[in-house]
Amino acid sequence: MVTSVTRLMGAILLLTGVLTLSGCGYNDLQGLEEDTKAAWSEVINQYQRRADLIPNLVNTVKGYAAHEKETLENVVQARAKATSIQVTPELLRDEGAFKKFQEAQQGLSSALGRLLAVAENYPNLKADQNFRDLQSQLEGTENRITVARKRYIDKVAEFNKMVRYFPTNLTAKFLLHMEEKPNFTVADEKAVAKPPEVKF
Amino acid sequence: MRLMSLVRPAVLIAGLWLALMGGLPAEALDVPPLTGRIVDLAGVLPPAVAEQLSADLQAHEAKTSNQVAVLIVPSLEGEPLFDLSHRVATTWKLGRKGTDNGALLLIAIKDRKVRVEVGYGLEGVLTDARSAQIIRNEIVPRFRTGDFPGGITAGVQAILKTIEGTYSAPERPATSSPSSDPFGNVVFAVILGVVIGLLLSRMHRLLGPVAAGGLSFLAAPWVVPALFAGAVSVALVSLLSALGQGGGSGRGRSGSPFDGTWFSTQNGGWGSGGIGGSFGGSGGFSGGGGDFGGGGASGDW
Repeated sequence: MVTSVTRLMGAILLLTGVLTLSGCGYNDLQGLEEDTKAAWSEVINQYQRRADLIPNLVNTVKGYAAHEKETLENVVQARAKATSIQVTPELLRDEGAFKKFQEAQQGLSSALGRLLAVAENYPNLKADQNFRDLQSQLEGTENRITVARKRYIDKVAEFNKMVRYFPTNLTAKFLLHMEEKPNFTVADEKAVAKPPEVKF
Repeated sequence: MRLMSLVRPAVLIAGLWLALMGGLPAEALDVPPLTGRIVDLAGVLPPAVAEQLSADLQAHEAKTSNQVAVLIVPSLEGEPLFDLSHRVATTWKLGRKGTDNGALLLIAIKDRKVRVEVGYGLEGVLTDARSAQIIRNEIVPRFRTGDFPGGITAGVQAILKTIEGTYSAPERPATSSPSSDPFGNVVFAVILGVVIGLLLSRMHRLLGPVAAGGLSFLAAPWVVPALFAGAVSVALVSLLSALGQGGGSGRGRSGSPFDGTWFSTQNGGWGSGGIGGSFGGSGGFSGGGGDFGGGGASGDW
C-alpha cells in the first residue's frame, strides 16, 4: 500500500515536471517562427506580383504618353532596384538588409504613384481598357501588400514577445538560438498605407 | 451623507472611465452584425428587392458553396473604404474554410464609394480587373442615375455569373480531415503513450510513466493538447501500473488500456469542443471561415 502511495506521489511529481517543461515554449517558438516565415513569403509574393505588373504598365503608358520619359524611366529604375535585392531568409536576420529592402520597395511605390498621377493628364490613356485593367490590378496588389504586411507585423510581434518574455526567452536564447526579428516600422507603414490615387 | 459624498465622485469617475473606454474604438466603424446575406443599413433597398437578392444568393450558395454578401452603409465615417471592407469581410468570414470562396459587395452611400472584396479562393476568376469592370459597367452607371436597387442587383448578378462553376457544393458540410483534427491527434497521442508506457513500466516502475508522458506530449499537436495528452498518459500509466503490480491481478492489467482509451476520449472531446464549429445556428446565415487577402476593386460614382 505504501508503495502505491509513493508511486502516486511520483506521478504527481512527473505531472508537474511535464507542466513546467512545456512552459519553456519550445513548440510554440518553433511554430511561431514557421508562421512568421509563411507570412513573410506572402509579403514577398505580393511585392513580386507588383513588380511583374510594371513592364506591362510602362509599355501601355508609353503608347499614349511617350514623352513622359523621366517618370517612366524612374519607375523602370525603381523596379530594377527593388527586384535586384536578393530576398533570402537571411534578410530577416539582418536589420540593415531588411531596411534596404524596405527602402527599395518604398521607392518603387512613390515612382508608381507619380506615374499614375501623370496618367491623369491623358484622357485617351485613362480610357484604354488595358490601362484600366492594369490599374485595378495594381490597386488590388497594393491592397494585398497592405494585408500581407499587416499579417507579418502581427506574427512578428507575437514571435518577438515570446523571444523576450520569461521563461521562453531562455529557450529561445540557449536552446534554439533565436533572435528577435526586424519588423516594419510605423513610419514606412504610413507610407505604404497610402495607396496610389486611383480614379475611375 | 458622508457615504453619499463618497459615492458621487466614484460614480463620476466610473462614468468618465466608461466614456473613455467606449470612446476609444469609435474611431473605426464597428463591424455590423451579419444579420443576413443583405445587410442594408442605409435603407436603400425595397424589401422585395432585398428578399429576391437574398434568395438568389442563397440558391447560389446551395449550388456552388460560394458565399456572397452585400453590405450597404450610410457613411464610412472617415475610414478608408478598403480598411472597412477588408475588416468586415474577414470578420464575417465569408466563404468556406480552406477554399476561401467568399465575396463582399460594400456600398457607402454618402461617400459615393463601392467596393468588391474578393476572397482568396475566388481571386482567380473574380480578378481585380473583372471586379473593376463590374463596378464600372454594371454598378456605377445605375448609381449615377440614383438607381441603387438596379445597380446592386446588376452588380450581384454579374458577380454570381463570374464565379459560377468555380466550386461545387459538397454533399455534406465540410468535415475536417483526421490529420488536422486536434481531438483525434490527442486521442492517438494518449493511446500511443499509454500502450508503450505500460509495456515499459514492467521493466522499471518510473520508466513507464515518464515514457508515456513524453511520448504523448511529443505526439500531440500544439502545446495545450500536448500538455493535456502528456499529463493524462502519465497519470494513467502510473495508476494502471500501480494497480497492476500492487493488486497483482491479471484482469486489471489487461482491462486497463481499454479503460484508458475511454477515459481519454471523453476528456479529449471536452478539450477540443471549443475549437470547431464555424457554422453557427441552424437556419441563420453565418460565414464559413473564409479568408480575404485584399483582392477585389474599388470605385466611386
